Amino acid sequence: MQTKGFRFWRAKEFVIFVVLVIICAIVTIVNPVFIHPSNLMDILLTNTVLGMMALGMLVVILTGGIDVSVGAIIATVTMIVGNFLAHVSGNLLLAFLVGAGSGAALGLMNGLLIAKLKIHAIVVTLGTMSIIYGVMFLLTGGEWVTQEHIPEGFKSFGRIVFGHVKTTSGGTTGLPVQFLFLVAAVMVTWALLRYTMFGRGVYALGGNRISAERAGFRIDRIIVLVYLFEGILIGFAGVVHTSIMRQVDPNAFNGFELQVIAAVVLGGTSILGGTGSVLGAILGVALIAVLNNGLILMRVSSYWQQIVIGLVIVAAVSTDIVQKQRAEARKTRVDVEITEGARS
Amino acid sequence: MTNDNDFILKIDRVSKTFPGVKALDDIHLEVRRQEIHALVGENGAGKSTLIKILSGVYQPDEGAYLAIDGVELKNLSPIEAVRRGISVIYQDFSLFPNLSVAENIALSLDIEKGRRLVNWKRTRARAVDTLDRLGVSIDPDQELGGLSVARQQLVAIARALTYDARLIVMDEPTSALSRSEVELLFRIMRSLKDEGISILFVSHKLDELFAIADRFTVIRDGRYMGSYPKEEMDNERLISLMVGRKIEYTIYPKRKCGEPILEVRHLSKQGNFVDVSFVLNRGEVLGITGLVGAGRTELVQAIYGMNTPDSGRILIDGKPVRIRSSTDSVRYGIGYVPENRLREGLVLQQSTANNVILVTLDKLTNRLGAVVADRKDSLVERSINMLAIRPSDPEMIVSKLSGGNQQRVVLAKWLVGSPKILIVDEPTNGIDVGAKAEIHKLLRDLAESGIAIILVSSELPEILAIADRILVMRRGRVAAELDGSTATQEELMSKAILSEQTGASR
Amino acid sequence: MKSRGVLLRPESLLVVLFIVVFGLMSLLSPTGFLRPFNIQSMAFQLPEFGILALAQMIIILTGGINLSISYTAALSSIVGSVLIVLMNAAHLSPAISITAGIVVMIAIAALCGAFNGTFVAFVGVSPILVTLGSMTLFDGLSLLITRGGAISGYPFAFLWIGNGTLFHVPVPMIIFVIVILATYFLIDRTSFGLKLYMIGANPTATMFSGINVKRVLFVLYIYSGLLSAIAGIIMSSRYNSAKESYGSSYLLQSVAAAVLGGTDIVGGSGSVIGVVLAAMILQVVSTGLDILGFNRFLTNVIMGVILIVALSLNALAGSRAQRSRKSTPSALVR
Repeated sequence: MQTKGFRFWRAKEFVIFVVLVIICAIVTIVNPVFIHPSNLMDILLTNTVLGMMALGMLVVILTGGIDVSVGAIIATVTMIVGNFLAHVSGNLLLAFLVGAGSGAALGLMNGLLIAKLKIHAIVVTLGTMSIIYGVMFLLTGGEWVTQEHIPEGFKSFGRIVFGHVKTTSGGTTGLPVQFLFLVAAVMVTWALLRYTMFGRGVYALGGNRISAERAGFRIDRIIVLVYLFEGILIGFAGVVHTSIMRQVDPNAFNGFELQVIAAVVLGGTSILGGTGSVLGAILGVALIAVLNNGLILMRVSSYWQQIVIGLVIVAAVSTDIVQKQRAEARKTRVDVEITEGARS
Repeated sequence: MTNDNDFILKIDRVSKTFPGVKALDDIHLEVRRQEIHALVGENGAGKSTLIKILSGVYQPDEGAYLAIDGVELKNLSPIEAVRRGISVIYQDFSLFPNLSVAENIALSLDIEKGRRLVNWKRTRARAVDTLDRLGVSIDPDQELGGLSVARQQLVAIARALTYDARLIVMDEPTSALSRSEVELLFRIMRSLKDEGISILFVSHKLDELFAIADRFTVIRDGRYMGSYPKEEMDNERLISLMVGRKIEYTIYPKRKCGEPILEVRHLSKQGNFVDVSFVLNRGEVLGITGLVGAGRTELVQAIYGMNTPDSGRILIDGKPVRIRSSTDSVRYGIGYVPENRLREGLVLQQSTANNVILVTLDKLTNRLGAVVADRKDSLVERSINMLAIRPSDPEMIVSKLSGGNQQRVVLAKWLVGSPKILIVDEPTNGIDVGAKAEIHKLLRDLAESGIAIILVSSELPEILAIADRILVMRRGRVAAELDGSTATQEELMSKAILSEQTGASR
Repeated sequence: MKSRGVLLRPESLLVVLFIVVFGLMSLLSPTGFLRPFNIQSMAFQLPEFGILALAQMIIILTGGINLSISYTAALSSIVGSVLIVLMNAAHLSPAISITAGIVVMIAIAALCGAFNGTFVAFVGVSPILVTLGSMTLFDGLSLLITRGGAISGYPFAFLWIGNGTLFHVPVPMIIFVIVILATYFLIDRTSFGLKLYMIGANPTATMFSGINVKRVLFVLYIYSGLLSAIAGIIMSSRYNSAKESYGSSYLLQSVAAAVLGGTDIVGGSGSVIGVVLAAMILQVVSTGLDILGFNRFLTNVIMGVILIVALSLNALAGSRAQRSRKSTPSALVR
């Protein structure tokens, strides 16, 4: 949601931003390497995929839905793309088409099931998660697509960086090409939510379903399309991931769906729908990214990462609820007469 | 002689029958062009039903006449009503709190025109235009949910204007507004009138009506009581038209009751009620009435523990008590039959038996915590018989029961616990006349047996039929305390509406 | 005190389904499936899954969901196992070490449950979000202690819990039956259980009726944690080690079993027997397909399909979820 003027200071996104800055400051003080450009590039690279998927999940959650099958979808997409690259063609454009297409197909399946069967999204996507993982492992045997099998052209693409930044180990790096995809995803999602009636329908549906129906929005169509959109984004994310890792491990995304949901929720999106923004989702991803990286740099055992993130999630959702309750209590219910001397 | 063309809206012979109840009977209404017309009546008089007919949501019974702008219409649909220029602003506004003001104003029109893309400039411009037309300064980019209720209402009006409304119907528009906000609203209404738009203004705030309306139409119990120009109207006449009916209910003799069982001293809660003090005696029926929004439910819920007050004291049997949850009040012997029976009073998908035992559940268990079937069954059977719940099958799912029987289940639930104090909030709402009378008798019998009853009701005849004493609340305060045997409907309504000092109703 | 189920007597349909599935598997591979060894094997495997399914079902009953059950099981068994292993290495008698270990496991799981319960009941956060956070937290704590590895070194007696038999009945199965009976008693016979059904169906009306909903939910999450602990005890005994990842695959299957067993995803109705039957069905399908030589991934696919088909039938029968979905898109977030 775009907020203007002085209201920005009170917006949720600003609070998250401040928390983010504080964490960055703390980490930098403990280990200045954090702020080093090469480390920042690294953070970008490691979290591009999370960012793209969070954008897709954002749109779904805004309508009041949810999708726990995203881990299965991206794992499948990477396997399809990996095998495509290895056995069919190393053409970059085709790879993206294949990726986006398979993601779209899987997302569409989810959307149709949820809209037509009228079953709750969490249960449907629980089922499709099993099905998608199952079919994928069945057809591929769970075999990795290893480095040697990925065409050199694709691998080179994955290594492209812009600019020259010295790394701490003496080499050079730069802004990863994959980051551009994240930027593109951000812009597309933002434009979709802000400039299309579909996007406004997403917010309307999440805000007040009955009013949305009354206003004339086609609810079923919106629901199918949000999952389709999410699927396409995941498709691209899958190709991007393959270009980063330059190999495919079908087990790489175990449990990933919960990280995606956590990122979106930390970014101020309400699980009930209707409230949330692209900016918020990106900040949520940044928060998780910075926490993970920061804990490593501060030489905190990587096992603490999970613990910290778990606590952060609980703290964030608690403060959100408490704030809502306070606002609710402050609402005036009766226009109370203030005159003196009224009989009581 | 006026002909149909002078009226933006003319309806005649409009009746509306629902299963078991005739909500409207032969209503006649004419709204002239460029007129602010007041529709007046008590709660439940039929105003909401009438509005729904005007907006095409309900269809009137056979033989009705409805003409908009001189054109007679049959089978009016909501979309057509809007196209013909009737816009209704309901009390809940039907807006989106998470979207901006500009969007709320422009959204439906965009959808209707089948637009795919949002042109924010155009949306904003249209919103600004409309807001300017209203002479209101609201930031079009602000999120609607952040606005006060008054300003949200202005947005709702703005939205109506984008549809080229010729008649705007406002249902109780000032119930949540402060005095200055009401004045702003009136200014806007006058300027709309100057532009040629008529307004049908539903309210029972009399001095507001006198300040703004050109003509009045009064409805009582679904019947048309007449239309009068402002000059022929005054408070007394209006009130007597609204409530001057013969009371059809059995009037029970009022009693002087026992010792005080509940005492409330200077109870206050910001935004809810202020400095409320009263005493409730054993075996007494204390009626609490007043307009909707006067704070009655908020007050009794505070006694019940669901709305903790900021200050003041509650004493039961002379001892001060701290009631901070419904669990506390149950412990003190207080029961509460809520106004919203379906949402707050019953678990609809459960059986009669399970609903009846819900409050006293823990008393039916053995040492292991298991519910003893015999105790449960006999208790349920006794309740069903005592309260004559029909059908008498304890396993019947309560959603299938009639309104009257559902209410008996709720009452049974509390009575099994032998409460000392029973609060009933609009107990006969949505119940047919015969069943209402039975509930009245039931309440009097309970009082007779020693239970103290607080009866919150908007139905003046009901209050006068069974209450021993009556408190009238107005705007969060107790405005008057009256004797149940001598009070009249007119008196109750005046106290509810008019302020003592000025005689004005604000 | 069963509330009306949605399908026509779901338990009966499930029994029929179980018999059909069991019969099918037996027919398709009589030598493989009906082998005593296989029946026994299923009987050893079912309990940990079934208990977790119950831990999930009781939460779904109140309109929530508990994403942390498997990590509660893992964390509690890990902490307890550390104690057992250390005491065992110190040559303390198995009776002492095992007892102490189990007590600790129960205590840790109760703490986990209390953590969840506090935020759901007293702060008022939606269960899906609380347990999303707590599952991450418990997972992290488990990893912290085990460093990703496995705890091992139990006294031999400990293995009896997960692998022994008593009068030819596998011990886990005995534990499972006890848990079923206790949970059935709690949910279907006590006042506490009726309160759960009421809270799931209409928390507002329940609160208006003087029920201390907060306290009930708080206790409920602790009980869910306790059940998770028991599953964890069985698992660590069966696998002869405690690891962070044990049981994680059961999370989603527990929701599947609950829903398949007739528990309405938005709360208010469900039955213990139904969930147990559903867990049995899923176990038989899984094992049967395995014996038939089905790739285990195909089995997963079939499980997913079963879940969706069952739910569609449920929805067609006009479940409350369908009706309430029209008003609340995410009813899991009460």
